[in-house]
Amino acid sequence: MKTPKIDLKELEKMKKENFQQRLEFIDKYVEWLKKTPNKKWSKQQKELID
Amino acid sequence: MDYKYTKDCIVIKDKTLSKLDEFVLDFIRILEKHVKYVIVSGYVAILFGRNRTSEDVDIIIQKLDFNTFNRLWLDVYKNFECLNTHDLKKAYNDYLLENISIRFSRKGEFIPNIEIKVPKIELDKWTLSESKKVIINDSTLFISPLELEIPYKLYLGSEKDIEDARYLYKLFKKYLDTKLLNDFNKKLKTNKLFIRYIQ
Repeated sequence: MKTPKIDLKELEKMKKENFQQRLEFIDKYVEWLKKTPNKKWSKQQKELID
Repeated sequence: MDYKYTKDCIVIKDKTLSKLDEFVLDFIRILEKHVKYVIVSGYVAILFGRNRTSEDVDIIIQKLDFNTFNRLWLDVYKNFECLNTHDLKKAYNDYLLENISIRFSRKGEFIPNIEIKVPKIELDKWTLSESKKVIINDSTLFISPLELEIPYKLYLGSEKDIEDARYLYKLFKKYLDTKLLNDFNKKLKTNKLFIRYIQ
């Protein structure tokens, strides 16, 4: 099977961009968490973790 | 774990589905009607029994025109919602077309969520075209080839990623295409990490 050409500089740039997007998403989640009743956010957390 | 591994697919029967599995399968059932996709990164290891969870599931979808995206969006919005924006045009123009991923969760929930992106680089396109079929109970989904997933996890390099890579390798090593695996390790410069942590 032929593998694609990999440009490591391009990949590194993408990795950094993805990380930045994830950081921004954490901010969004915290904003949501702050205005969401404990019962609601903790139920979602419980369902994910249990 | 009982499984069947062939060139074309991996089959696992009698898996008790987790809430995360059900969430992913519910979303995939909608997604697959509209566009080709591949699941990448953390959920691949979780799907095969790794004991950890994830608040997001990464999926690469084929580039799609606005009309197709519109149909997908309307279908998805019956049970899910976009966390970035509720504006369809904005989601398409300001996110997907700008190579920024968009996230979907079940309505009124935030986690878990599906993170969707279109191919940015050749590697993404290859992953999509060479995706591996997985049959879990009676459901079908497509994942990134493990011969790429393992080196890519090493490339990402966090402890969690390295553990995932080792888990997948130990579980499937007798079935993996060694030449392909070595080729990706070479291209991603993960040979040393592979020798140190995986083999």
